[in-house]
Amino acid sequence: MIGLAIDSVLALGIVWLALQTVRSVSMLQAVLMFIVFGLLMSLAWARLHAPDLALAEAAIGAGITGALLLVTWRRLQADGHDPVDSELPAQSKWLTIPTACAAALLIVIVGWIALQLPAVPGTAGDLAWQRLGEIGVSNPVTGVLLGFRAYDTLMEMAVLLAAWLGARAVATTYRPGALPGPVHVEVPLVGALLSLVVPISILVAVYLLQAGGSAPGGAFQGGAVLAAGGVLLFLTGRLEAAPRTSGLERVGLILGIAVFSLMGLMVMATGGHMLALPGAWAIYLVETALLLSIALSLVLLFAAAPGLRRMS
Amino acid sequence: MNPSAVIYLLTAAAVFGIGLYGLLQSRQILRQLLSINLMGGGIFLLLITLGGGADGRPDPVPQAMVLTGIVIAVSATAFALALLLRWHELSGSTELDADAIADAIADAVADAHDD
Amino acid sequence: MSLADVIASLLLLSGCLFYVAGTVGLLRFPDVFARLHALTKADNLGLFLICTGLAVHSGSLRIAGLLLIVWLLGLLAATVSCYLIARRAVRSGQMEPPAMEPRS
Repeated sequence: MIGLAIDSVLALGIVWLALQTVRSVSMLQAVLMFIVFGLLMSLAWARLHAPDLALAEAAIGAGITGALLLVTWRRLQADGHDPVDSELPAQSKWLTIPTACAAALLIVIVGWIALQLPAVPGTAGDLAWQRLGEIGVSNPVTGVLLGFRAYDTLMEMAVLLAAWLGARAVATTYRPGALPGPVHVEVPLVGALLSLVVPISILVAVYLLQAGGSAPGGAFQGGAVLAAGGVLLFLTGRLEAAPRTSGLERVGLILGIAVFSLMGLMVMATGGHMLALPGAWAIYLVETALLLSIALSLVLLFAAAPGLRRMS
Repeated sequence: MNPSAVIYLLTAAAVFGIGLYGLLQSRQILRQLLSINLMGGGIFLLLITLGGGADGRPDPVPQAMVLTGIVIAVSATAFALALLLRWHELSGSTELDADAIADAIADAVADAHDD
Repeated sequence: MSLADVIASLLLLSGCLFYVAGTVGLLRFPDVFARLHALTKADNLGLFLICTGLAVHSGSLRIAGLLLIVWLLGLLAATVSCYLIARRAVRSGQMEPPAMEPRS
């Protein structure tokens, strides 16, 4: 009963924040509403028995996306006025609400029917639970990501790399440290915060990686937390955009894809299936490489820069 | 049927619908990106709600897919925001409309001929 | 319901009360400084009470230690962000800093 009440309040909050995101006149307010929306989504994942998603949403959805949106809003502000929506032409305006309602109705109908269906034995998820012992981790989500649907995870790394390549190709006239306003003014407290929070973000990333085998956590959550530390260093002017990608950064960016593919091919050489990792040690090795690549790609993507260097 | 599943199903549908409405009614690129992210959030919620096992053993496959989806969403958003900043730099506008795009293309072509 | 459960519930409830007070302050107070005052103080105490309540409820030293770290990190983040917001408000000239009354 209490659970149901919590779910209802959470659901109302999520819908209200989504509505504010699209309705508020000020773009800054829309961005802030969206960040809080991400936080409530994180609570919803926890309620839906998906703690791995709750961690990822809090670190990525609310944390990194939020910082990225705020920084972009700030850069668009450079000429001094908040972007405001212009009126839509009347002939397309009257269609928006009916279209949105129709889409929502469609989802309700499809979802309702899907919820009525009896549970079928032998789905991919069932098989994953049954055969979890064979791959050496007890967190089923980590098991699915690296054991049963490894192709998805490998391709995801490729998408992350492609997104960064796109962002750096587009941001051609990037000015190093180009954040308008007094962001880089040195404040003593910020140094104290960084000297504690950055080491802790490394510690938490390693903890999440190690815990990911048996409890909520894993390479994605850990990578996001590590990336958040890097983003903080970038935002406070400890790191700045560099014109070139250093050799070390190149290695870091492809480390995840390289280690994952090599392990997958090596398994084939010994007669196994491609990407069928041979045991828990292989999963941890691949996850470590993934974590480093995810963190570095996210920070470089955040900076939309070819590389990073210490602020001179 | 699990009543919480119904609540989250309705939430997923509402969030998707609101996102679609936002995408259609705004021409501000930033707002459109927020709206697309809302639509994605609605779909993620739908996947997890439908994959919630009744016996307290949730299906890990949709969870893994949504986890992948969250990371893809942030990378796509970051790329789109980089495009937005570039567009803003080139055209001085934060909106997309056919005239502005045509002008920007004409300028780019003229620049290319000058070189 | 054991004694530990009663204590944990009381701690959680009083923690929530502080959060409500802080939020009311955020919504009702007139300027940046008053809002920050309400928010940071009440919420830090609220977070402390909730963490303590959860630690009592879990009955495990390891979890209590983790919750202590959560509270300390929350304090750190609240302190720095409160300072940065107040500093920005003063610098941008929106607001005179509140007058410090000498202690007698």
